[in-house]
Amino acid sequence: MSSNDQAPINQDEVRRILDQHKDKTKTALRVCAHCSLCADSCFLYHVHDKDPRYMPSHKFINSLGKLYKKKGKIDRAGFKEIEEIVWRRCVLCTRCYCPLGIDIPEMIAIARDICRSQEVFFQWSELEQPAE
Amino acid sequence: MYDFIRGPLVWVAFLVFIFGTAYQVYRFYQLSRPKERYRLRIPFGKPPKDPDEAPGEPTLTWWQQMRLSVVGVNPVMVSVTTLFHLALVLTPFFVLGHNVLLDLAWQISLPSLPEAVADGLTIVVIAGGVFFLLRRIFLARVRAISTVYDYVVLLIATTPFITGFLAYHHFFDYDTVILLHILAGEIMLMAVPFTKLVHMPYFFINRFVLVHENTLGAGGSRTWR
Repeated sequence: MSSNDQAPINQDEVRRILDQHKDKTKTALRVCAHCSLCADSCFLYHVHDKDPRYMPSHKFINSLGKLYKKKGKIDRAGFKEIEEIVWRRCVLCTRCYCPLGIDIPEMIAIARDICRSQEVFFQWSELEQPAE
Repeated sequence: MYDFIRGPLVWVAFLVFIFGTAYQVYRFYQLSRPKERYRLRIPFGKPPKDPDEAPGEPTLTWWQQMRLSVVGVNPVMVSVTTLFHLALVLTPFFVLGHNVLLDLAWQISLPSLPEAVADGLTIVVIAGGVFFLLRRIFLARVRAISTVYDYVVLLIATTPFITGFLAYHHFFDYDTVILLHILAGEIMLMAVPFTKLVHMPYFFINRFVLVHENTLGAGGSRTWR
């Protein structure tokens, strides 16, 4: 789906970007009360029959949160999953609501930054076309 | 051990709570920035008063806005969480037993609630804790982001009230239960700045400091980005 599929992950680069946003990431991960009140503010959550994987907090915790906790030590397969989260499950519409004020779109945007640095991004042109 | 929990650890707990929380608020101010002033000015004349010509003015009644907000979308959760948090934060200040201790130590005390009322509020907190526990176990979306940590923090937050309830009613050995009660309270206070209980200051930061459509009060003064 993305270009340069097989190249090894440049972990130094991943860590460099993670470090740039370390304080905000750490704060957001700590403040998140895992209350799930953000769920209903996401239109993608609604159109996917309330699939928890579309809940804003789930997306943030499993993309940037995962990268942060594993200190960037994530392989290609792991990045593939993060690509799915930050491009397919979030469109950065910035309409999510957090009762504690976490800037979830910013967290997703940082995760996208890290993905781009590893040539991981979504190729819309390769999207499967619906059958006629 | 008994003397340590009743003596120095109380001070340590309060100091960790106060300075730790202050540090977290300070960190917020470091990480966020002041909101930008409007750079665009209307060049001449007054802004149009006709509602059709003034987009951006709310056209919904407060009731319609409420229905669309988190209150209308999750009414049960919002009601339970509001009661739970109010009872959790306020009850300890107005429990007779706590005020007697304050009076004995420093000859100061706050007004006390009737014991039955304080007991009722304690039950509200415990019931709220049970509600959150069941929600975490049975609601798919909450379960999806739950780890052992969430259950531990829920336990940290409710144990002071469970042990307080047991101590007040003299269930089990009073001396042991009251010691556990003091220890549980100290652990909870110390946990506030360093666990997800940091949402205590962040609730107020979100509602009164950050700028967004749900800000209360003066409309907020800071933004994350």
